[in-house]
Amino acid sequence: MENIENSIREVAEKLLSEKKVDLIIGYEQGTLPLRTTPCFVDKVEDIKKLVWNASCDANLSKYVLGRKEKIGVIAKGCDARLIAVCAIEKQFPRENVVIIGVPCLGVIDRKKIEAKLGDKEVLEATVEDEQIKVKGEGFELVLPKKDFLCDSCLTCKHRNPPICDVFVGEKVPENTEADEFAEVSDLEAKSAEERWQHFKEELSKCIRCYACRNVCPLCYCKMCFVDQTMPAWFGKTNDLSDTIIYHVVRAFHVAGRCVDCGACSRACPMDLNLRELIKKTEKIMKERYGYEAGVSLEEVPPLGEFKMEDPEEFIK
Amino acid sequence: MNGGWFPMKWKVIEKSKLPILIEELTKEYEVFAPVKEKNVASFERVSPENQPSLDFRNTKKPLKEVFSPQTETVFTYRTDKKDVEIVEPPAVKGKMVLLDVRPCDARSFVLLDKFFSSGEHKDVYYLERRKNTTIVGLACNSPLSTCFCTSMGGSPFGKEGVDLLLQDINNKYLIETVTERGEELLKKFPWLKDAEKADTERAKKLSEEAENAVKSKVSVKDVVEKLDRMFNDPLWDQIYQKCLGCGVCTFLCPTCYCFDILDEEGKRVRIWDSCQFPCFTLEGSGHNPRPSGKERMRQRVMHKFNYVVKNYGEIFCVGCGRCVQECPVNLDIREIIRAISARQVE
Amino acid sequence: MSNPYIPNLAVIRKITRENEANDIKTFELVSKNPEAMKNFRYRCGQFAEISVFGAGECPIGIASSPMDEDYIQFTVKKVGVVTTALHNSEEGTVLGVRGPYGNGFPMERMEGRNVVIVGGGFAFTTLRSLTKFILHEANRDRFKDLTVIYGARDPGELVYKYDLEAWGKKDDINLNVTIDRAFPGWTGLVGLVPAILKEVAPSSDNAIAIICGPPIMIRFTMPVINELGFHPENVFLSLEMKMKCGIGKCGRCNIGNKFVCKDGPVFAYKELEMMPKEY
Repeated sequence: MENIENSIREVAEKLLSEKKVDLIIGYEQGTLPLRTTPCFVDKVEDIKKLVWNASCDANLSKYVLGRKEKIGVIAKGCDARLIAVCAIEKQFPRENVVIIGVPCLGVIDRKKIEAKLGDKEVLEATVEDEQIKVKGEGFELVLPKKDFLCDSCLTCKHRNPPICDVFVGEKVPENTEADEFAEVSDLEAKSAEERWQHFKEELSKCIRCYACRNVCPLCYCKMCFVDQTMPAWFGKTNDLSDTIIYHVVRAFHVAGRCVDCGACSRACPMDLNLRELIKKTEKIMKERYGYEAGVSLEEVPPLGEFKMEDPEEFIK
Repeated sequence: MNGGWFPMKWKVIEKSKLPILIEELTKEYEVFAPVKEKNVASFERVSPENQPSLDFRNTKKPLKEVFSPQTETVFTYRTDKKDVEIVEPPAVKGKMVLLDVRPCDARSFVLLDKFFSSGEHKDVYYLERRKNTTIVGLACNSPLSTCFCTSMGGSPFGKEGVDLLLQDINNKYLIETVTERGEELLKKFPWLKDAEKADTERAKKLSEEAENAVKSKVSVKDVVEKLDRMFNDPLWDQIYQKCLGCGVCTFLCPTCYCFDILDEEGKRVRIWDSCQFPCFTLEGSGHNPRPSGKERMRQRVMHKFNYVVKNYGEIFCVGCGRCVQECPVNLDIREIIRAISARQVE
Repeated sequence: MSNPYIPNLAVIRKITRENEANDIKTFELVSKNPEAMKNFRYRCGQFAEISVFGAGECPIGIASSPMDEDYIQFTVKKVGVVTTALHNSEEGTVLGVRGPYGNGFPMERMEGRNVVIVGGGFAFTTLRSLTKFILHEANRDRFKDLTVIYGARDPGELVYKYDLEAWGKKDDINLNVTIDRAFPGWTGLVGLVPAILKEVAPSSDNAIAIICGPPIMIRFTMPVINELGFHPENVFLSLEMKMKCGIGKCGRCNIGNKFVCKDGPVFAYKELEMMPKEY
């Protein structure tokens, strides 16, 4: 980890000082334990702020769009794939962005740690190899990291960014074994009524803060369907039916583009599981079109074109 | 009335007896208390299915939703174009008790009261609910590391905004009467024992410890005045960059009150809104005085730490730390205040 | 405690099409409740929140003069949900009216002085209220010279053409109506409002200027006003912002610590200079 951190700083410094980029977007230490925060470095002397660890969970690809300068952005596998999706969708000049790819073995899910600790607050934390050491008032615990990684990381098949301009460190072995759609299969096994109850219960806690939308790099519409008034597609109150429409339509808007980085679920202040519905659309893309978003800059996304051999058994 | 001399000012109740008191309360009042579901505490109506959890740090959502719900019907109407009949919502009946309100949240009511009752037009919806509510606070023995109430005019044992204050002194709660309304409530429980000197001494010791335990300090001494001169400061260009422009900080903030009003079929509703949303100030002509995250972040900080001070004499932040904990990108308001404090401004 | 969010009911008595493009209409409203009508005492420059039930509410400047006692007029441009619903309404439709809100024009400052009114486009609506008020025989001699400069993009876009025609015949008002560029059939003034203001060059001596228009017109008008020697505390602008509640509670129309709905929409230029430039 330390080696990667130093390598990131070296690469970033080189890019900045050689003026290949005007700005580096990375992570710096956060103000709370187990947190990092996005960092915008435009001076070489600030490079030392950049860190790399298992708390680098923010999706920095969000900050790539809408910038006029040349930027270098630190990208985990999921982040790099999202930058690729935005590049395919022509949302930014590709030549202005240097993707600094970093291999990632998963980011820590703070909510899982909070669930484990209950009301105890973590005041200090260190992550060493496969262990998370947490300390607080009157307690000290060692937690196995693998049990506290984000769900999206547990089944990640792209620990090494498939697309990048610079690769930092050594490639790590990919997880070829895990069934990334196990969660979806569980849901599919339920009856329609059970699924409906499940989603109603989950989404009733939504407070319509739109953190899920705003943290997602794919949600870049200048005028989101939520805010349109002419016509108004659905209500803005936290009435359950309106809330369900919001989440379902958003899932459809990112279908075929989402890479399951998990940022939406991490951002949600009410701890909603926002990934499961979108994960189902990801499964459909894989099974019907053999497609994975963001692994190739050449492939046109299936939902953006029509091929004669596209499955159409549902047309009777 | 606050701080008056009340005979028998302190009572105690054994922790084991508190559920009895709560049950008694529910017979006459609508009682709201923190209820835990999967480790997340939120204020819910106490019922046989929803029992309060007394061991909690603080609720995710602030308590403003009790007095100013996220979605509120302003009125309903019946229309056939040629005639319209407006039906105001039914008057607030019955009385409420909010139980286990942390001092920061109780203080937020005092600030919101100033706002909703200000000016020529008073917000009847909020004020009616407030009028009918007794606040039973729960002092904080162990503040969180993100709590900075003492820097914002509050304290873990603060009495602003509470009618009664509970204090956990091991196997008992000390009950302090703060207002006449609190006294009225206590009268309904004549079986409560008087506190002994040991109880009040223990409480005093715990409050000192708690005050010292608030480690996070933010100086706002010169911030208000500095902000007067900082509207065009380049600092805003840096601060807003990582902000996503979502509504987490505003929705979870106990003193954020901005709302939107819209018509739905058959009714007019008002809903929480956020100055961080791009459409907040978007005009029909397409012009937006706050076109980017920079202006919107500036508005948030200046509003809470300068504009409201000019209008109501108070900073609208109680130091509860919710925005610090829940911001998806760890944008920390304490860091912003410190940056402003440290700024050299002409 | 009265509920400030409940509108009074009013009926559309008459709808007047104001412009060629047919997206600006004047609605004449009569209250369903005569008592409420009597109590709706307003000043020039104030606005009201108009409800189209089912579509919503929006703030509209009052176009009628306070001297018109049995009706109120609002001139509305079709731009969004509520205004479109309003434009689709017929005579006889019941609307909601909340108000009057806002501070209105500083009539006390204008009495005994020359008044210079500068307006552009559809923003002329509250200035029309002011002009009608000053010209009314019961009020005219309280004010001195009245100069009005009003411009629109083209003749079709001029609103209150019937008033402009009537005023043009009077000798107690110096009326200057202009259009941006020459237009076939137009024999009146041609030129942008700031340019015409410069030509007309009303004296700033013992004068108050009231200006209302789109941001770009304001930007070019202010230097001319300054050149003419108007003191910032004698120049008043009526601002527009997105408003919802109209009573300073929803939080969105603030400029610094002032609310356009409550402390405005009329601000002295001197005041504006001390406020953040966020409008």
